[in-house]
Amino acid sequence: MSAQARVIVFCGKGGVGKSTLSLAMGLKLAKAGRRVLVVSSHPLPELAVGISLNGLSARFPEAAKRLFVVHIDPVEQISELVQKHFPMAMVAKAVLNSSIFQNLISIAPGLKEFFFLARLQQLAERKSPEDAGTPSYDDLIWDAPATGHFLTTLRAAKGFDTYLSGPLATTGAELHRFFSAPDNLRLVAVTQPEDMAIAETLDLAAGLARDFQIAPAIVVLNAVSPLCTADPHAIAEIESAPHTGAMTFAIDRGRAERAMCHQLALDLPAPQVFIPRLAHRDDDRRDADLDLLDEVGSWLDTALFT
Amino acid sequence: MKITICLGTGGVGKTSVSAATALSLARSGTRALVLTTDPSLRLKTALGLKEGLTEQRVPNVEGDLWAALLDVNETLDEAVRMNARRGTEEQILTHDVYRMIASSLSGMNELMALERISQLMSHGFQNIVVDTAPSRHVLDVLDKPLLFADLSASRRVKLVSRTYKFVEAMGLMNIGRNALEVYARAEEILGGKLVKQILEFYSLFYPVAEAYADRARKTGELLRDPSVTEFRIVTTPHKAVRDADFFTAELRKRNFRANMICINRAWLRPLDDAPREGLAKDIAGWYENVSLSHKAAIAKVKATFAGSGSKICILEELARDVDGADALRNLETQLQSC
Repeated sequence: MSAQARVIVFCGKGGVGKSTLSLAMGLKLAKAGRRVLVVSSHPLPELAVGISLNGLSARFPEAAKRLFVVHIDPVEQISELVQKHFPMAMVAKAVLNSSIFQNLISIAPGLKEFFFLARLQQLAERKSPEDAGTPSYDDLIWDAPATGHFLTTLRAAKGFDTYLSGPLATTGAELHRFFSAPDNLRLVAVTQPEDMAIAETLDLAAGLARDFQIAPAIVVLNAVSPLCTADPHAIAEIESAPHTGAMTFAIDRGRAERAMCHQLALDLPAPQVFIPRLAHRDDDRRDADLDLLDEVGSWLDTALFT
Repeated sequence: MKITICLGTGGVGKTSVSAATALSLARSGTRALVLTTDPSLRLKTALGLKEGLTEQRVPNVEGDLWAALLDVNETLDEAVRMNARRGTEEQILTHDVYRMIASSLSGMNELMALERISQLMSHGFQNIVVDTAPSRHVLDVLDKPLLFADLSASRRVKLVSRTYKFVEAMGLMNIGRNALEVYARAEEILGGKLVKQILEFYSLFYPVAEAYADRARKTGELLRDPSVTEFRIVTTPHKAVRDADFFTAELRKRNFRANMICINRAWLRPLDDAPREGLAKDIAGWYENVSLSHKAAIAKVKATFAGSGSKICILEELARDVDGADALRNLETQLQSC
């Protein structure tokens, strides 16, 4: 087995289902016996993840032992560094509480992103001494922030000679090494058949190609109509029959989605994975989200993603 | 004077609803303007919007309707050109820290929206509908419209930037010992080059921030006046329960309430000829499924907000061939009949 986990990155526009997919993938891999860590950069991680995984250990006790979810807070990482650097608690506290220091941190170009990536890389390569006793992972899934911030975050791994010349030089060099090796990342662009989501997917691909010379390995089209995956004969048949009202709307809508998926395949050549819009379920059940994650997982071919 | 702020997360059609809201105002006989961040190409075409910072009259609609784009980078660049000390503009505009604050400082979008609102008011627009950035933090601007000013023009920071200048000018002499200590310690951890870069930026940038903060303060006060500002939550059925809860709670914290919760893109048409086989059956099932979940979410939001004073407005999704100005008019009619 390789010395490190490859990072599977679910990236794309806000609201297209990155978190759901990350957790569904995580659950599926964990059920298959792998140890999985899902790293979230979601702004409200406790809420979203907490709800989604409600009842996990009762429903999937074995998978629950192998599925881990963490949220990396870069400000916490910086605090840790300060505390390590100034062993006297009083000094560390004075620095951390100083508004000047807080201002510096909030405005330093790429600093928070730098610390986020540093932690991510440590987790992938299991190098953090604090983690000596904790389990290592077969797969690491990064539930990435929305496109713009995702690209800004990746940029922090490159080109910041500011960091490479100072006390953070070692960490900076490590980051540069890890994130420059294309094999360490498997980028999954998540999108939906909607104008804005598709446009943002293309922006994402262009940004990745321009600044990092990498391309998404897979495109996931989430919440698609049955027309997206249907056989052309069946579609022709449908279109020739007369329809009214809601059925006309549904077919029209499905056809537009199909056209968008085809166009995207031309603009962004990568295998497309389709996930149908899944059945409405009763939200009031405590572990309702687990059903959803499980069902989404059934559409993901682990061999393609890992 | 009336400002309507549309709140919502990404991909809910917030811009269209904002534009339709402004159209309502325009049709009632007042001049109205929609300020939008990032309209889709289709809507841009519908509104006849061109790039640039000037406000534009929307053609092909009834009423005195105007639209303006909010371009965060352009607006900030403009503020720099207007307010920087002469000769420092280029230094600021090309500075690494500047590029960073423009793109990744949280709250920058909202702050630039304030700047644009104040510009538009000074250009005589009395009815402004603001299509906010798709962020959950958009209301932060009501708590701390001075965040930016805080960051760059507060006494603390001025002290640091002065410290830096003094350090340059006379070596480590007798001012702001406390600040210097922190500065030195930050340097130990983060590196001298970085800290120096930031301080250098502050010393260039603070005249811009100060001039800016003054206007932001005034606009911020206006936004906090309930007789001027109204809030409208825009969401889709799928996100309705979560978004409505989140934004109403955030508004309540600040003693505001949402005047309206718009649930956009609802699939409500009944399926009267449900097919029973093949692909048609799948499509009908898909439609029914989505429609059912929409209805359930809408019922839930209605039950939760009954008697809360927030009007619930359901907007049906249009067929895809309804486009441009027609789509806008249709949405406006739906809004009116709520």
